[in-house]
Amino acid sequence: MAIEHLYQDIILDHNRCPHNRRRLPGATHSARGQDASCGDDLLFELRVADGRVLEAAFSGDACAVTQASASLLTQWLPGRAVDEVGLGLKHFRTLLDEPDLPGNEMLGALGQLQPVGRFPARRRNALLPWRTAVKALTRGAGPAG
Amino acid sequence: MASVPPLDRAGPEIRDQLDVMALREQFPVLAREVHGKPLVYFDNAATVQRPLAVIEAMDDFYRRYNANVHRGVHQLSVEASEAFEQAREDVRRFLNAASEREIVFTRGTTEAINLVANSYLAPRLQPGDEILVTHMEHHANIVPWQMLCERTGAVLKVAPINQRGELLLDGLAEAISERTRLIGVVHVSNALGTVNPVAEICALAARQGIPVLVDGAQATPHEVVDVQALGCDFYCLSAHKMYGPTGIGALWTREALLEQMPPWQGGGEMINRVSFEGTSYNDIPHRFEAGTPNISGAIGLAAAIRWLEETGLERMKAHEQRLLDFATQAMSAVEGLTIIGQAADKGPVISFTLDGVHPNDLGTIIDHHGVALRTGHHCAMPVMQFFGVPATARVSFAAYNLHSEIEVFLNGLEQARQMLA
Repeated sequence: MAIEHLYQDIILDHNRCPHNRRRLPGATHSARGQDASCGDDLLFELRVADGRVLEAAFSGDACAVTQASASLLTQWLPGRAVDEVGLGLKHFRTLLDEPDLPGNEMLGALGQLQPVGRFPARRRNALLPWRTAVKALTRGAGPAG
Repeated sequence: MASVPPLDRAGPEIRDQLDVMALREQFPVLAREVHGKPLVYFDNAATVQRPLAVIEAMDDFYRRYNANVHRGVHQLSVEASEAFEQAREDVRRFLNAASEREIVFTRGTTEAINLVANSYLAPRLQPGDEILVTHMEHHANIVPWQMLCERTGAVLKVAPINQRGELLLDGLAEAISERTRLIGVVHVSNALGTVNPVAEICALAARQGIPVLVDGAQATPHEVVDVQALGCDFYCLSAHKMYGPTGIGALWTREALLEQMPPWQGGGEMINRVSFEGTSYNDIPHRFEAGTPNISGAIGLAAAIRWLEETGLERMKAHEQRLLDFATQAMSAVEGLTIIGQAADKGPVISFTLDGVHPNDLGTIIDHHGVALRTGHHCAMPVMQFFGVPATARVSFAAYNLHSEIEVFLNGLEQARQMLA
């Protein structure tokens, strides 16, 4: 598998110019996601009202794969019902585990991260923003920890 | 450049000193390819590759004389016991210890440090007593002491380092108090490469009667270690860092100290006589080796020691230092690259960051050039915190590495920079 399969434009672009990489004033939910072994350290923040995500943002320090995944996720989340996010994570895991099968349409642009699945050492990076977002939403409103 | 044949371009005068190409023949794994490229193994500080001498010694044990040790009168058990105890003698010789009774086999450096924490230090600690370590320690020389502090009310203190990654001896001296009960210091830092002045530290500590534990995991593959000349009280090593197998290492300490230490794990082998009314313990060092030991591991470690002695640690070190100098110079010229750890006395380890390229991405891109390097915190998070970086990439060299391999690595660096920076 050539290295260019991993570092496609989608990852390079979102790494260079990530969307919603900032603190989120008025965040109702937040969580910190760390991968100690590789040095990723994210703060994921969401603003939720009436069971629906209105806005999402991330900050911190992360590798290109994590950063692209976080950037795409913050674009995917607004407008989603909180209950949908867990299902989204399930589809995203399947996307990475089955790089030869078509991804679920629900994922939209996030489907372009499918090639990460062919780099087993890097799947965890693509998943970190998802796991962090779900952690934030699951444990309810409050400060990050 | 990635397809450069693995020929050492350092010149014949260097090959006269250490025949690197002949040495490489002894490492079967070096013949393999990774992602279609010749393997360049620069993750030697994590674990080094094994020569045939080690692989074959362990294979021979399993094929010819596999048996438990110190148990049976049968021939295989006698042969296995002799090989196991010969391994203890080989470790003694390697460290220049006074007696083989001073060598305890452990799973590695980490277990050796935990043994000292639990058996030697725990019974001696009072609340408010202090354990002193340096800011550049591996987690293995931090966490066992922290756990002990939690249990006993003792306090962990930290001796400072400077921006070059060198230990401040004055700072260490200032951090010593009348409550200091032990000093733990790494001989060679795995994250920075710094070689610490262990003999000086031991002399300083001895004047105040404080025992010193030395984490020797990264030193034994590169330095001739003489525990008596160093003047330390505990020396810990891991076989897999010094061309031996994983899962075995050793603790050296003075016989007089070891005699005072209670057993820390119970089981077979470590006893003299067991009854439900009470148990008496075996003599040192067996008192500290509960259960069937790692026999093949000890045999592999002994083979590694003999291999190191035959190959010549001094010659290996000279070659590794030339690789270190060449790589340091070449990497210093790479735009945006910062070397973390620039001590005057360094082992063959280079930690670095590259602007705009996360170490994780660097590791993946370079892996596709066939180059194995380590990325992350190197089990030394306080070092990362000191330098204000979440992680670094690290190349570390062994005696079988080549100057041409460094060029392959530099090409990978350049690709990573172009792709991501």
